[in-house]
Amino acid sequence: MESDELVVQPGSAEPIYRQIAQQLRRLIASGRLSCGDELPSVRDVAGRHAINPMTVSRAYGQLELEGLLERRRGKGMVVAMARGRAQTTQRRLQQLQPLLEELARQARELELPADSVIENLRALWETDP
Amino acid sequence: MNAVSVAEPDDSSAFPVSCRNLHKHFGIRKVLSDVSLSIPSGAVLGLVGSNGAGKSTLIRILVGLLMPDFGMATVLGEPALQLTDAVKMRLGYVPQQPQALNWMSVGNMLEFVGKFYPSWDREYMGNALMRWNIAPSHRLEKLSPGERQRVALIRALAIRPEVLILDEPASALDPVARRDLLREIALRAGESGMTVLFSTHIVSDLERVASHVCFLHEGRLLLDTTLDDLKETHVRLTLPREAAATFRERIPGEIARRRRPDGGLTLVLARNADADWPQAPIAAGGVLDTPNLEDLFIELTDQPGAAWFTK
Repeated sequence: MESDELVVQPGSAEPIYRQIAQQLRRLIASGRLSCGDELPSVRDVAGRHAINPMTVSRAYGQLELEGLLERRRGKGMVVAMARGRAQTTQRRLQQLQPLLEELARQARELELPADSVIENLRALWETDP
Repeated sequence: MNAVSVAEPDDSSAFPVSCRNLHKHFGIRKVLSDVSLSIPSGAVLGLVGSNGAGKSTLIRILVGLLMPDFGMATVLGEPALQLTDAVKMRLGYVPQQPQALNWMSVGNMLEFVGKFYPSWDREYMGNALMRWNIAPSHRLEKLSPGERQRVALIRALAIRPEVLILDEPASALDPVARRDLLREIALRAGESGMTVLFSTHIVSDLERVASHVCFLHEGRLLLDTTLDDLKETHVRLTLPREAAATFRERIPGEIARRRRPDGGLTLVLARNADADWPQAPIAAGGVLDTPNLEDLFIELTDQPGAAWFTK
């Protein structure tokens, strides 16, 4: 992709790094950017839009943490393989692990069948914003 | 909360540019009142203030051209009033109306000045003169104020300074030259760690390149923080007249308030990034919105009867 394809609105209440990160997330989610596609260098984006390179790095860094981008030697940033994204889902799930264990423990103590607990959880999931 | 001033009071040498408790009067007029500031290495600090807010006075003290009544400024670890030649070599400064060596031609002046600087970048100088349409043969005194400022910017950038201090650099530049300058500042700060302070009353210039921002109003620093934090942690709360009486006292996170002509209140609130906004005013009919930098500046500075709660 080219730096020009990113839209930067300095006057927006939203910080520029978030504007860039959000656009890239959308481009990846919609498939316009796919696995292995190269991103423009930090310098190129910063120069094109006359913005601080640290702002661009921050956006790239955040997407790297999310598993959407990965740093490739000699190529800079590329869109990560979907497998990389699955791993982060796994990692995020791990953060819930203590809560899930606690839920399972209490449900057993109350002698509730697993199915009805899961059904209730699903109902909560679908109603809560 | 104060991302800029994270240092211990005496730890000024850790910052390329720093000042403590500056006060300055001109006659009976108080121009600066207890201004303290520390700019981290590689930061681009935008100093925003209306005309007459004290921006130029602060800058002149920081570069050692003016003595404060009280307080002290340092540049690259040295007191601003006693900078050695070695530090001056690493400092670029462009005043609002550059006057130096006006009897020389542009080319001669730059050649002459360049000889004093081992780091002088002739290639940058040549390219910038071309891009900014300045004929080296013209005499400085014959140039327009805008052209003279462009020459001064070229001179300051060609020494490849570690610290660059610019007083209203964008006011005399056309949009293309302005974008050029912002790009140069942003890339050098981001890639070679140049530390930049520039003053402006044009907020949009600052929003592109600044990593940090300060509001200077009537000689006082109202706010200093990183630009991203500023946008992410400040909201405006508009309270209807019916609710105003309930919120006579300062509410958590409030940094400014003003009473609107309709009897309602407009507040600016700040919070920690992961905290929630206070719920009571919202329940009472208050509306939150996220102001952009210009809105915020106006909320904080341009309101008769506004009250601030700083640090």
